[in-house]
Amino acid sequence: MLATLLNPTNGTATVNGHDILAEPDAVRRSIGYVFQDTTLDLELTGKENLDFHGRLYDLDRKTRQQRTKELLELVKLTDRADSLVKTYSGGMKRRLEIARGLLHHPAVLFLDEPTLGLDTQTRRSIWDHILHLNQEKNVTVILTTHYTEEADFLCRRILIIDFGKIVALDTPENLKAKLEGDIVTLMFKQSTAIEKLHPILEKQKWIRQIKVVNSKNNNATMSRMIQKMQIMSSNFGMGAQIPHINTETINVNNSKEVNRNLKNETPSENLEFKGDKNSKCLNLLVDNGGHRIPEIVKLADEANAFLESVELHKPTLDDVFLSVTGRNIREEEGNIVDMMRRHRIIQQARGRQVRG
Amino acid sequence: MVQPLSGQAIYVVLLRELKRYWRAKARVISSVAQSIFFLAIFGMGLGGFIGGFSGINYLSYMAPGVIGMGLLFGSVFTGVSVIFDRQFGFMKEMLVAPVSRTSIILGKIFGGAMTATIQGIILLVVAGIMGAFTPSMMFVAGALASVGGMLLITAGFVGLGVAIGSKLNDFHAFQLLSTFVMWPMFMLSGVFFPIDVAPLPLQIAMMCDPMFYGVELLRWCLLGTGSTLLGPLGWLISLAIIIAFDTLMVGLGTLLFSRAQI
Repeated sequence: MLATLLNPTNGTATVNGHDILAEPDAVRRSIGYVFQDTTLDLELTGKENLDFHGRLYDLDRKTRQQRTKELLELVKLTDRADSLVKTYSGGMKRRLEIARGLLHHPAVLFLDEPTLGLDTQTRRSIWDHILHLNQEKNVTVILTTHYTEEADFLCRRILIIDFGKIVALDTPENLKAKLEGDIVTLMFKQSTAIEKLHPILEKQKWIRQIKVVNSKNNNATMSRMIQKMQIMSSNFGMGAQIPHINTETINVNNSKEVNRNLKNETPSENLEFKGDKNSKCLNLLVDNGGHRIPEIVKLADEANAFLESVELHKPTLDDVFLSVTGRNIREEEGNIVDMMRRHRIIQQARGRQVRG
Repeated sequence: MVQPLSGQAIYVVLLRELKRYWRAKARVISSVAQSIFFLAIFGMGLGGFIGGFSGINYLSYMAPGVIGMGLLFGSVFTGVSVIFDRQFGFMKEMLVAPVSRTSIILGKIFGGAMTATIQGIILLVVAGIMGAFTPSMMFVAGALASVGGMLLITAGFVGLGVAIGSKLNDFHAFQLLSTFVMWPMFMLSGVFFPIDVAPLPLQIAMMCDPMFYGVELLRWCLLGTGSTLLGPLGWLISLAIIIAFDTLMVGLGTLLFSRAQI
């Protein structure tokens, strides 16, 4: 809609101060758009693609030539400028598209899944380009992505849309802060240490939740995974399959409050104490985990509970995403064209990389 | 939302069609070869049996029709290819650019007409080499006129293709299009037999086929004669109908394309 490809059913919007309904041409001049699937002409060379784009935006020959040269250097494609685009790798195509989106000096650049199906190095280099554009060239960048770590790395504000509705809009930091709490994992040399320390920790108001976990599942990521699995299984009505994971939860504070952020509806029998003598780990849910670690270590020392290691797990955007959208796998209506298109993008990105 | 036509945009789309055509040599070769097979096998095989129609040998009779076939298939498929452009490729790029859809589609139509005409010229030369035409000053003038005719014929058919392509959203419909639109149009165009020898129902069907007038016009240009049914002014009637068809189809294609959502 903001790119004037679709008309809004209701209301309107402004892009760079231009109304999308009243002044679509002015909007189009202000934006650059990099589509999810490549819209480069594969039968043309890189340079020709840029040149054609410049013509569409009514740039004169001199400007076109100069900017083409600059941008090809920016995205490091100068040496391949005269090769047909179909011989480019997935990352090169992406870079060329970004260059093309910038040719007419837009104020706003839209990137639709800029790194779908690309390898890690290429993704990194595209991220660098995007940051560079945003910081040095003052281009506003709006990007959509399925990769939460991409959003976390690049974006100042993140908007999460679920089934066509906005469910969250904030900075990545604030979004993560909403998950209320980091997980601190304490590993002990002996399981007896837990018995000593547990009563002491229970008295600390700032610890929101304590979990004794089997040493096999000793890391925090695992613990989050278990939380998610429990939630998923309760959604699917399969809670009964979970107990062997062997988690034990002791709620220190009001249990409703603690569980609120994860909407944990697992039947309580799954959470009953399974009394494992070999447990050597404690998972603590605390706010500001980093700052609490020294205090925790001190308490452990005082209780003569010898720590082997301490791990801190901050909530990731993945956790945020899951908590705001719910956990069921999305099953939106798709059609064959969408499927073919996605398949083709991924194939292209991969196929070209092999050839180099 | 009326937007002015942009010369640059029309030129870009046209140039793109030409460059793509030029680079897709396999496609050019295969479609030219297809026409050569028709000329060689039917022209010589069937020609040996039939001899010819009203003093024209069968190969010569068929040649304008086979050139017409190249024009027809080339132009309709270029038109329909907007469906691919729309779904996947470059077209989206152009649709977010500040140019009107009318400019884009006019460029597409001109570009498609030019590439199909280039194909027609290649076939003309090939047919000439195969001995379909008697060289003379008259023929050279006629051949030049036929190039103009080809541009006119193809413009309408690219328009038709664009109109169909804007309405179709499914690639499977391609096969239907080929079977139920292209082939009947080709076979009714009087490539293999003159309208004068056909029974009345077939004659009526042929008169409804725009390609029939295209082939008729080419035959007048290249052989200096046409069907008895349309008479000595057949070339003028054909020309008028083709121009009317062009106007209608370019208009329809532009309209449907402008309305199509991506």
